Amino acid sequence: MPAEPADPVVRARPFNSLLVLGAIGVALLVAGPWVFDTYLLNILIKAFFFAIAAITVDVLWGYTGYLTFGQSAFFGIGAYAAGLVFTHVGFSTFTVLLAIGATVLASAAVAGLVGWLSFYRGASPFFATVISLVLPIVLTQLLLSGGSFTGSSSGLTGYQSFDWSLEAWYWVAGAMLAVAGAIGWVLVRSDAGRVLAAIRDNEVRCTYLGIDTSRVKIALLTAMGVMAGIAGFGYGAFSGVVAPELTGFALGTELIIWVALGGRGTLWGPLAGGVLINVATAYLSSSMPFAWQLILGGAFVVVIVLFPQGLIPLLLKPFGVLQGATRMPQLQERPGSTDGQATDAVAIRLQGVTKHFGSLKVLQGIDFEARAGELVGLIGPNGAGKTTLMRCMSDGAERSGGTVELCGSDIRQLPPEACVRLGLGRKFQNANIFESLTVAECLRIAGTRLERPSLLHQDPVLRLPPYALHVVRATALEGKLATVARDLSHGEQQALELAMVLALEPRVVLLDEPTAGLTKTERTQIGEVLSSLAHRYGLCCLLVEHDLDFVELISTRIVVLHQGAIAMQGSFQEMVNSPLVKTIYSGSTHAMKEGS
Amino acid sequence: MNAIASPSALVLDGITSGYRASVVLRGLSLDIRKGEAVALLGKNGMGKSTLLKTVMGYLAKKAGAIHLHGENITRLPPHRIARQGVAYASQEQPLFADLSIRDNLRLGLAQESLFEERFAAVEPLFPVFGSRLAQYAGTLSGGEQKMLLLARALMVRPSVILLDEITEGLQPSVIDRLANALLQEREQQGTTLLIVEQNVPFALKVADRYVVLKQGELVDEGLAKADGAVEAVFSHLRV
Repeated sequence: MPAEPADPVVRARPFNSLLVLGAIGVALLVAGPWVFDTYLLNILIKAFFFAIAAITVDVLWGYTGYLTFGQSAFFGIGAYAAGLVFTHVGFSTFTVLLAIGATVLASAAVAGLVGWLSFYRGASPFFATVISLVLPIVLTQLLLSGGSFTGSSSGLTGYQSFDWSLEAWYWVAGAMLAVAGAIGWVLVRSDAGRVLAAIRDNEVRCTYLGIDTSRVKIALLTAMGVMAGIAGFGYGAFSGVVAPELTGFALGTELIIWVALGGRGTLWGPLAGGVLINVATAYLSSSMPFAWQLILGGAFVVVIVLFPQGLIPLLLKPFGVLQGATRMPQLQERPGSTDGQATDAVAIRLQGVTKHFGSLKVLQGIDFEARAGELVGLIGPNGAGKTTLMRCMSDGAERSGGTVELCGSDIRQLPPEACVRLGLGRKFQNANIFESLTVAECLRIAGTRLERPSLLHQDPVLRLPPYALHVVRATALEGKLATVARDLSHGEQQALELAMVLALEPRVVLLDEPTAGLTKTERTQIGEVLSSLAHRYGLCCLLVEHDLDFVELISTRIVVLHQGAIAMQGSFQEMVNSPLVKTIYSGSTHAMKEGS
Repeated sequence: MNAIASPSALVLDGITSGYRASVVLRGLSLDIRKGEAVALLGKNGMGKSTLLKTVMGYLAKKAGAIHLHGENITRLPPHRIARQGVAYASQEQPLFADLSIRDNLRLGLAQESLFEERFAAVEPLFPVFGSRLAQYAGTLSGGEQKMLLLARALMVRPSVILLDEITEGLQPSVIDRLANALLQEREQQGTTLLIVEQNVPFALKVADRYVVLKQGELVDEGLAKADGAVEAVFSHLRV
């Protein structure tokens, strides 16, 4: 198989315009000192450092969905590392290394701590944002109360720093910005970068694909904290002045404004926004000190209302830089690790599982066991507790009492991503996918647990286990790999989610109405896939479904759930013809359908 | 059905619409008479839900016009269209999860005082809600939420009801009950229905007429109760 991507045309166009834009950027960077005057060079150097911080905000907010006001804190940590070390220890090669080391260590430690506080299991995004607001405030207070050590409110000035010319600083700062931009660009376009977008879109789905979202976010915040810290170090070393405002929450808010004005989730936007607004501020704030803030505020409102995408996407659209950056991967069968699994082993066992919401008892004393190779149909009236039961099987924190064993391991209080690692896959009742990602990207992220995504590039091949591939082909998703999931029809989204769950290569599959919204033909095809899952690949499938014809076709056993307890279990005919099921559940429809 | 002779309730005239750059409906025209029930059928991704969203004003029309009881509603925002008497039970289940069942049901009503009377009419169709009016809607099961969605639509006594796969996730006996409820509602209130469904038997049971949508265009239509209607519909769904 040649490594060349399937469709070079898709790839070539944005790549070329990207080269052109990049070349313009490099040319401006190199030529700067001959084109700009000293004042502008001064402003630009500072703006470059701020723009790096803006890029980190964009990666965190625009791409990962974590709205943070706290990146200024890391910028300030870097600036103060330079200021403190150069003031109190002096300036030498050794102290430069010391200051850089302090920047990296302090930013990483603070970011790790803040991440741990912000992203623990069950924390809401709102809570994380509040913590990010508190961080710069606390840090500023610490600096203000630092006496002569931190210089309190006047900060530190007059320390010795690098003896470089303005031109050299301009090139260094520009190169740092280019490197930061390039790192961000490579990261967000890589397969790992798509995981960030997946977390932004749908964190619950991520955890049910076995991705530890807290860890990913903490690692990302640490990396971005260090990056902002190094930018701050550069700023502190260049300007020779550090003040508490550099860590402040006002700067943190400004970073967000630059990102939003430039274009959230584009990297170019924050880069250009950060540089341009800083330059404009430097020129205009002195000539019209009050009006300028008003103009900036007004521009912010106008952009948010009229161009919620930001200004840069608007300007770059004609060049096609921001679109079509993903190419269609080739589908390939992943060599099966699930072939010939031992059947008959107990795959899931529940003992005395109960669940109540306050005084409302939803499940009571559920004892249930299913083996590999079984396809159990779970039926019951609406509100019997079927979905709740599935929730208790897939998240250790859900049940109120009893034990659940997955493939021989007690799930205790384990979170969904740990249950997934034990071999669980769960398809939700309403299609639960990543809306802003393409079909191919959704499927790729589903395989994250099995194939670590690359931080550097997009894999031109998409490997899926045979049964997931079957779903993709049977439902015509194959022809829509490059379609954004939001634009799929409801039924296609259902099929996509099923394929994603199967791409996990689970050993126990929980399916909550997998065929809802699909046509009869598609149902039959999905039915065949599900049968083969159990009978050929030895998976244990639990199926909630109201289409009794469908259940009859594929299930090996039926469990009837009624008012939170297992009312009966046995073969399909026994169940459906029982008076109980007729009364509580099927009414006349099934008989009527069979007759027609 | 006497519906054929009655005036138009909802008229779509050359409607083109879609999402952002992609066009889903292509110059689609459809005339639904007052009191008529039309089943909108077709495979996934053909534009059925898009059509309902377009009627309801959630999607901008790129071309064409929509008239409701002779009045042009093409440019009206969703809340105005709802006030004109169109109820929409969407697939995305936009219930208010943190409000009680009772609050969900009364939200569309112009006056609080109407609640008792309207609920008395709706309750027999959905006996599960009678004793649970104070329960949060978010704690209902998926199927129960579907029922609440339809109950809320019926509470308003709308002149036109748009239903998007209302039977999805419902147990068979409830689907039966819904079909009867909709037939009864039409008979008593003269309600016009536009039903998007994958459950073909249900759709044809409730509807007078079916239309089949393919790639954003109407490719077939017929009387729901005609001989061979089921086969005709399935032949479109299979390909």
